[in-house]
Amino acid sequence: MSEFQVKSDAVDVDAIMRQIRARVQEKRGADYTETEVQELAKVKLEQFLDPKGVRSDLVAQFRKHRTVTSAPPNYEFEDSTIYETHRGLLRTIRRVLNPLLKLFFNPNRISGALHIQSKVNNDSHQRFLRREDMDALYYELIHNLALEVTRLGIEVHNMKMRVESVSSRVDFDERRGRALEQVVQYKPARSGSQRPPAPRPQTAAAPTSPSTSTEPLSTAAATDTSEAVTSGVSGDSPVSEADGERRRRRRRRRRRPGQTRDEQVTDEQVTGEQVAAPHAVNAPSVSDIGDGPVQGGATVDSPADVGSDEK
Amino acid sequence: MKIAIVVQRYGAEINGGAELHARYIAERLSRHTSVEVLTTCAKDYLTWKNEWPAGEETIHGIKVRRFPVSRPRNTDDFGRRSLQVFDRQHSLADELAWLDSEGPRSPALIRHIGRVRDEFDFFLFFSARYYHAWHGVRAVADKAILVPTVERDPAVGLSLFGTALRGARALMYNSYEERALIQNVSQNQAVPSVVVGVGSAIPDRTQPWRFRKKFKVKRPFAIYIGRIDENKGCPALFEYFINYAANYPRGLDLVLLGNAVIPVPKHPRIRALGFVSDEDKFDALAAADLLVMPSPYESLSMVALEAWALGKPILVNGACDVLRGQTLRANGGLSYDTFEEFAETLYCLEASGPIGAILGRQGRDFFRKHYAWPVIERKYLDMFDRLKREPSARNAEAWPGWWARRQRTLPPARQIVDAVPSGPVRR
Repeated sequence: MSEFQVKSDAVDVDAIMRQIRARVQEKRGADYTETEVQELAKVKLEQFLDPKGVRSDLVAQFRKHRTVTSAPPNYEFEDSTIYETHRGLLRTIRRVLNPLLKLFFNPNRISGALHIQSKVNNDSHQRFLRREDMDALYYELIHNLALEVTRLGIEVHNMKMRVESVSSRVDFDERRGRALEQVVQYKPARSGSQRPPAPRPQTAAAPTSPSTSTEPLSTAAATDTSEAVTSGVSGDSPVSEADGERRRRRRRRRRRPGQTRDEQVTDEQVTGEQVAAPHAVNAPSVSDIGDGPVQGGATVDSPADVGSDEK
Repeated sequence: MKIAIVVQRYGAEINGGAELHARYIAERLSRHTSVEVLTTCAKDYLTWKNEWPAGEETIHGIKVRRFPVSRPRNTDDFGRRSLQVFDRQHSLADELAWLDSEGPRSPALIRHIGRVRDEFDFFLFFSARYYHAWHGVRAVADKAILVPTVERDPAVGLSLFGTALRGARALMYNSYEERALIQNVSQNQAVPSVVVGVGSAIPDRTQPWRFRKKFKVKRPFAIYIGRIDENKGCPALFEYFINYAANYPRGLDLVLLGNAVIPVPKHPRIRALGFVSDEDKFDALAAADLLVMPSPYESLSMVALEAWALGKPILVNGACDVLRGQTLRANGGLSYDTFEEFAETLYCLEASGPIGAILGRQGRDFFRKHYAWPVIERKYLDMFDRLKREPSARNAEAWPGWWARRQRTLPPARQIVDAVPSGPVRR
């Protein structure tokens, strides 16, 4: 959501609305109205389709040039058509004299041909009308497709912008992550004689020790070396100490994602140097934090201890 | 001084619209002058059926005289006639027939106004679009003060209203947008007028916690108060809110107060509490983060004023010029046109948001300055004094003859209203 700059006790609704609209505009990327989409569609189609003489305002052009085709004159031709007349007497005479006519030529064939032609005319006109209706639909369809393609183009453009923005954020997060990793100072690896033994969790003596209390992780991590040493001394066995040491070594040997063996070796050397540095003694290692609550510089792996932390 | 207030319906049970406005004004003016209400026996604004007995009664100390409606509204006939005059070329006779069809048709009320015209100094007509106001203004033009309460709907474009709006002695507008609309349509700039509006009966103390406890409302919420109706823009509000709720799970809930004419969507963050008492309403308003007014048609939103009185910001539909204009002038709320704006503005107006409290405070200052009862009463009394001092100089407009009234030469009313420039008035 947006944040607004409110500089005084009084706010101007107009200014706020302008900020909101700008914010909405920014969120939506290029914000096009329906008219603007139509305009863009025209431009794009003119660019791509002009060589073929197709216009983007297809429907408008179609409607402009469309004329309603009237039916061409046709005729009905039946057997009796050649004898038809409005005078009844004449029609009778023609019928009476029909056999005489047939002596000279066969009018039935002519009547049949003209009858068929009349039907053909009718059929083709009907087909032409259907074709015209279909044409309208096709024009409409192409027009709508053109619009949709334009709309999709715009949307793809917006999506690209959004992907770019997201990827830049991811990059930034990665960089920040790396920077944070570098900032964290690793706990020194002490030599066996110098390093105090880790406290044994949930021993009979543990509840009496203030170091095993329900102190938050960060607070526990921040306790100074002397406290760490004190709390770590009590009730620790050589077996657990050796285990902890091995675990820590294993963790240190683990490579970070994307890290080469050479880089790891260099890191280990650096860590070794840090161990020697007296100021780095206090801080817990990242791996320690990851494993469980830190108490006096040692890790507590026991679920019971974790449970006591959650109290 | 003796004032008659003429309104289409009147009763303590009617709690909204021009009728409530009229009742508030009657009760307030009765502190300064003698007031009598002239109205119909109708209770339902859709049918205008006679439900209250004709005759006299007293409501909250005000003498009310009721007259029967001669025939209830025939909705089919009214719909047909509306189509005729709003969307087609028509005649003045068609418009008069539309007015009769709209109702509440009460010739007895109009006759009574003509009979008692000398007993009153002024007649205050509410709602210009109804039968009683148009015929009443024509009956006592030199004493008629019109409170139009019109919205931007096609009825304003009917030419017959022009005669009433130009013929009244004075006009009391609800908002600057209403005045601009009416002056554009009827060219009645010469008529004395003032933008007044109306105050509200705001309780001295509210108990937001009582509302929360009674209705088990725990989360922060936006409130809508009024009829839950399509005309009030509620479907769009529901659509936007459901979308908002999906996008902002920690955002506000929506509480609806009022009778539901359309179904309310079942949603865990929408609570429809139905019609509630005034006490609950004000407690709810005090408990809310903001008031939402999604209606695209309003001449004046009393509930918006009530929200400001309690220091709550409002969120209004940007399509309604009046509400948008009011929020701009008051600096007491925001408006939205699209869903994105709805979501952003809703966030801004949350009580914990950056500007909700400031806008609410500014709204309260605006209410106190312009809509406090002493201010409203003073504007009415000043107008009465002014009209008493200045004698009516205008002559009544000549009424077209029988043949002219039947000539279908008038343009569709909708076309006239659409041609009037829209937008809020910034002062």
